[in-house]
Amino acid sequence: MTPAPAFGTYEFAGRKELCLCPSTPLAHRVMLVPPLFDEMNRMRRMLVGVLEALEGLSVGGFLPDLPGTNESQVALDRVTLSDWQDAMAACARQHGISHIASFRGGVLTVSGLNAANHWIFTPAKGAAILRTMLRTKVAADRESGLNTSIADLTIRAGKAPLELAGNIIGSELFAQLDAADIPTFESQNVVRLESDNKPSDRQITGSALWLRAEPDDDPAMSLAIGRDIAEWVKQ
Amino acid sequence: MQNEVDLTPEAAVRAVMRDILGLSAEQVSEFTADTELFGALPELDSMAVAGLLTELEDRLDIVIDDDEVDGELFETFGNLVAFAEMKVTE
Repeated sequence: MTPAPAFGTYEFAGRKELCLCPSTPLAHRVMLVPPLFDEMNRMRRMLVGVLEALEGLSVGGFLPDLPGTNESQVALDRVTLSDWQDAMAACARQHGISHIASFRGGVLTVSGLNAANHWIFTPAKGAAILRTMLRTKVAADRESGLNTSIADLTIRAGKAPLELAGNIIGSELFAQLDAADIPTFESQNVVRLESDNKPSDRQITGSALWLRAEPDDDPAMSLAIGRDIAEWVKQ
Repeated sequence: MQNEVDLTPEAAVRAVMRDILGLSAEQVSEFTADTELFGALPELDSMAVAGLLTELEDRLDIVIDDDEVDGELFETFGNLVAFAEMKVTE
């Protein structure tokens, strides 16, 4: 049986943040960068499954928390995209990472790490992630009799922290995400689902868990991603 | 890198419905213009609808405004396909 990942940490801004680590030290190492906001919750179990699959293939997978999310002690409304980028750089440095696998909007938090090798799963730009959350807010407001619009909310987000689908997003994080395009790296592999018509280097059979109403699991997808990443890391 | 494959609006709507509802290609291929959506499919809540609209924008390279979205749009699969077809010709 594959051992469960160990609870490790990395240090950022004088605090320890959670980082799931391999249960034994392994020579090959890869950092998995989670998606943002609700997409992270919906894919968490699948990503932990990837860590387990990687360990079974003798590759050490590291899954850090982004400050302000999951177990982090920092309030999300004080976090900026620059903080996330600095945090992921710190985690990569502290754990000796040269290979980074990012999921969805996670790629926006490693855009400055050009020296690393990147494996990128269904990347999403910041504006699209915000747009979905803004739409959810508009729909919820309409149900409670308020007539808001994406344009109104965008203006409000520029002045004060805005609650979107349960996440309190500060003005700077909102503005930085809104402007954050999908980066390209010198060494990169873009990986997508078979059902996706966008350009990719490789395709994987699996489910678009980030679009689902509830968090779900897909063990076959975890294994397929684990195998693909392990092959790429060992090249 | 493989090139982008152009999708017809109907194929894009089917693919997004499949991804959001976690259905197989076969199940989604059974959707007809009269298939009821919002209210008939419990997975299709307001958050899923928000994701669906953003995915359609992304896959069909269109922009959907707030005031174009109403309950009628999600009544049936046919309504949604007709809307997508109208948007790509704009």
